[in-house]
Amino acid sequence: MFENFDINASLGEKLAFALPVAFFGILMVFLLLILLAVCIMIISRVVRAGESISAKKSKKGPDTEMTAPAAATAPSGSPLPATQSEGSLDLVDVDEPTAAVIMAIVSNQSGIPLNRLLFKSIKKVD
Amino acid sequence: MDILEILKGFWESSGLAILTWREGLMILVSFVLLYLAIAKKFEPLLLVPIAFGILLANLPGAGLMDDPTGIIDPLSTTIKEGSHWYDIGFLRLIYIGVKSSIFPCLIFLGVGAMTDFGPLLANPMSLILGAAAQLGIYVAFVIAILLGFTPQEAAAIGIIGGADGPTAIFLASKIAAHLLAPIAVAAYSYMALIPIIQPPIMRLLTTKKERSVEMKQLRKVSKTEKIIFPVVVLVICAFMLPSVAPLLGMLMLGNLFRECGVVERLSDTAQNALTNIVTILLGITVGATANGQTFLSGQTLKIIILGLTAFMFSTAGGILLGKLMYVLTKGKINPLIGSAGVSAVPMAARVAQAEGRKANPTNFLLMHAMGPNVAGVIGSAVAAGFLLLIFGNS
Repeated sequence: MFENFDINASLGEKLAFALPVAFFGILMVFLLLILLAVCIMIISRVVRAGESISAKKSKKGPDTEMTAPAAATAPSGSPLPATQSEGSLDLVDVDEPTAAVIMAIVSNQSGIPLNRLLFKSIKKVD
Repeated sequence: MDILEILKGFWESSGLAILTWREGLMILVSFVLLYLAIAKKFEPLLLVPIAFGILLANLPGAGLMDDPTGIIDPLSTTIKEGSHWYDIGFLRLIYIGVKSSIFPCLIFLGVGAMTDFGPLLANPMSLILGAAAQLGIYVAFVIAILLGFTPQEAAAIGIIGGADGPTAIFLASKIAAHLLAPIAVAAYSYMALIPIIQPPIMRLLTTKKERSVEMKQLRKVSKTEKIIFPVVVLVICAFMLPSVAPLLGMLMLGNLFRECGVVERLSDTAQNALTNIVTILLGITVGATANGQTFLSGQTLKIIILGLTAFMFSTAGGILLGKLMYVLTKGKINPLIGSAGVSAVPMAARVAQAEGRKANPTNFLLMHAMGPNVAGVIGSAVAAGFLLLIFGNS
């Protein structure tokens, strides 16, 4: 289909050659990546369903993993509640880079991922 | 013995006597690139070896890229009867790694081992943004055809818009090896210039309200999902487009090393030692292909302009689809993350983050932008696979 190309062709003929290639090319990229997105969604649901079943089964025994309370109660891989993903952080006499470092340290020391922590304010204490 | 004869012989055998203006200019270009890499820190890990490769290849009489046998470079102007493979210049020998696509594939192995696909798995719609940001590849392809390039050359030039150095080198070495140097130099230069190229387009195509959108935090992705992902991607993509298997195969193998958790040593080697070694070899040989005789031409200028066009359209494609998603989700998607679909990991995601914070200081878009960013790597590899499939055997 795309083999007959004449380098000396007119601009119109060149356009007639190039546009279908470009169209099919971008279409192929979209189709393949949409297919991948669908597969990821399916796999994700299956894996999460499997994990929630195994989590229910293991609920009978004590949780041996050292996790923070918030992480332990939230089922792995589930979306965060809206209350945990929104809100604002008040910085009092603290610049943003410092606040970011503090939040990272708290997360690291507590073992709670940052997306499970909610900071309300960070205030400098003299 | 006449001292003047000795001096004359010494002069005639020196590089200065046989230096051409093209070589001299390329040596100056290498100095400029070294300055940019060292003083301005523009992608120094790549630009230092590339610039030094340019310098080495243009040293008059050194013959580091000569191929007297014509085995590696059949168009070589230095072919001599009775030459052996070991007479080939040492950079030309290393260049086999580029020509055979070994280096780009090994770089992809390292990239895979360094990449966390978690943000992409948490938000699979990122893949569509990654697809939209390949628009520039095809826009540049069409323009290049109109400018008189062959389809193979146009395809190799267009892939600059994927903002992925190894992919650009992979495709160019397969279908338009004679344009490898300007394509590689343009691709890596524009990747370094992303913080300058993208922001004006981002601001032009979005409103402050759109740029201020705070996105919901991403869910946590389980280890099982991360392990399954590389295998599924490879199987689906390689079944649909077998020509993409070398690049995606290595990318996904590297990622499996990282995520499976049982081959720490291999993951570490792929991320560090192997990537560093291949980066040196790839950079120096790509730079060495920038020979003054072939590099300094009107064609190179056209390629550099087309590369910039490709980058700009790719950025615009990602943002425009981001805007569409913003409308469809009633303002839940920040369109800026679409611009990160031009691979260039993680530079493009950082630019999205920086622009988002300018509009809204409490905005943290980095992880959201990483999804389209890594999707762009897959997208550009798929685009390259398609172009290779169409024009690879012509």
